[in-house]
Amino acid sequence: MKIEVQLTRCPIAEQISPLSPDDGHGALVEFRGIVRPEENGKAIAALEYEAYDEMAVREMRRLLQSLAASRPCLTARVIHRVGVVPAGDTAVYVGITSFHRAEAIALLGEFLDRLKQDVPIWKRRAQPAADAPNLKNDPLAPKPRPGPPSLDEAMAEIRARCQSLPALRVPLAEAFGRVLRETVCAPEDLPPFDRSARDGYAVLSGDPAKVFQVVDTLHAADWKPRLLASGEAVRVATGTALPCGHLRVVMQENVERSGDRIRVLKEERATNVRLRGEDVKAGQPLVHEGVRLNAGALALLATAGCSQPLASPRPRVAHFTTGDELVPPHHAPGPGQIRDSNSSLIRGLLQGFPCDLQQTHLSEDFESAWRQLNPNQLGQMDLILVSGGASVGDKDFTRPLLERLSFQIVFAQVNVRPGKPLIFGINGARVAFGLPGNPLSHFVCFHFAVALALARLAGETLPAFLRAPLADKLDDEPCPRETLWPARLEWSKGAPFLRPLAWASSGDLTCLAAANALIHLSPNQGSLAPDTVVDFLPALGILSS
Amino acid sequence: MRILFFAQLKDATGCEFVDLAPPSPLTHDGLWAALLDKFPALAVHRSSVRLARNCEYAAPEAMFSLGDEVALLPPVSGG
Repeated sequence: MKIEVQLTRCPIAEQISPLSPDDGHGALVEFRGIVRPEENGKAIAALEYEAYDEMAVREMRRLLQSLAASRPCLTARVIHRVGVVPAGDTAVYVGITSFHRAEAIALLGEFLDRLKQDVPIWKRRAQPAADAPNLKNDPLAPKPRPGPPSLDEAMAEIRARCQSLPALRVPLAEAFGRVLRETVCAPEDLPPFDRSARDGYAVLSGDPAKVFQVVDTLHAADWKPRLLASGEAVRVATGTALPCGHLRVVMQENVERSGDRIRVLKEERATNVRLRGEDVKAGQPLVHEGVRLNAGALALLATAGCSQPLASPRPRVAHFTTGDELVPPHHAPGPGQIRDSNSSLIRGLLQGFPCDLQQTHLSEDFESAWRQLNPNQLGQMDLILVSGGASVGDKDFTRPLLERLSFQIVFAQVNVRPGKPLIFGINGARVAFGLPGNPLSHFVCFHFAVALALARLAGETLPAFLRAPLADKLDDEPCPRETLWPARLEWSKGAPFLRPLAWASSGDLTCLAAANALIHLSPNQGSLAPDTVVDFLPALGILSS
Repeated sequence: MRILFFAQLKDATGCEFVDLAPPSPLTHDGLWAALLDKFPALAVHRSSVRLARNCEYAAPEAMFSLGDEVALLPPVSGG
């Protein structure tokens, strides 16, 4: 059965797009649970719902799956609203399709019963009818603001509203770049036994003898416990498990061997033994939750036997470009046309975040663009990015488009240069950004907003701004907005410096190939002298480019 | 391990979550002992609260370890 489950803080639409129109179903059963205008005999204006989002979604999914075993249906869609829900509004919607009505009706009834028993959603408190004007008390509802949010406020909104996607167990070979969602501890001491750090001869650590009898030869994978007596030596290789405790290893370079005897030519201070548990003791954390898995972390997980780490899923990302002036890179632009660079920019930037990306060019006419979209498919997307159309020109339809897709617009501008007309919307656990069309704005908005949202979706522990000195003068007119200035972090005499890059306008692409950092400038900052220490946001690939 | 509180348990504890670092994995009883020590007001809820471990209801014999996300779930009332 195809299952779609969603929690949302927005009103549930009167009309909901059809469930799998082409699956051949003969019955569609829909249910809406409505908030009644009274609770325990008292008139109420609204009910506030709270959920343990991640578990609620999982539990609903699990219930539907288990019920479908005895009630074979084709599709099920559940939308549960949380936050403040006014009386008369839909709190929960369930739609089920099946070949025949009986299964869908039965599944619906059983699901609703179990929903009320097992799914972690609560009616918190009712607002009495007299308080109706305070209906907007939902703490996460957009707050009225005197102007566009500052960079800090915008980032705080994104942090607060983007929830981590349910984690899953993945094979190590598919885990690179995902975020670890559990702290993995050492199941045993590492190394798991005393092992030799050299090729040589193991002898008792306090043995004063100079000449030893070689009583055995051990190879890397050998496991031959035995006690050594004074004057006895065992031939070992680097990494060999030592036959007992309290040994040292004399390097082969420092002995002379004849037959079964060795003579120590030079005494060493080092024991040349790696003791059991000297790297890590059993139970100590090895890799922490929230870490993006790099090659080293994967190697450590492998050592710990964690072959199926609990990790973030690959988010499903839809990227739409808009603008009739755009032609693909392999076309020659006609008069008034330019080649589309944003698709390549976004595709490249997303390489830092394993995801499943679909890219589509949309017609500039709103209704034609709407017809190009498949709402069912879009409903499966975790992140929607729309390039261009973010401003308020006649053809700038990103906001109406997101609203028609039931996204709640949290902000439609940020007080930052470049990238002011950034739109951020949320629909349950789904996130959308309308990115201002200029490539430099894309670059900036990606790093402070989209990358932050992707980190949150993945459950990543977030990096903050870093600090470094300027290599050159940063030449700027004071600007009333905060600025994220493209720069290149370079090493000079072994220390990092930021070289500010020249940019003429937010359409200026030329600096992007070199940019690997964004310098934060406060409002009205103006120029800065070389060696001034500034805050910067590292851009993707800062250590590799 | 992070312990999340929901609904009326937020009111009882005055917070949304608390982090515990037990030296070894805890049983149901062990976890409750640690929580009641910090939040005596939870005692009246104990009989009605279900525990979840990493977003799934925890079986009675489940152990709660470092790194787990544990949730205290009072009787639900969705729909």
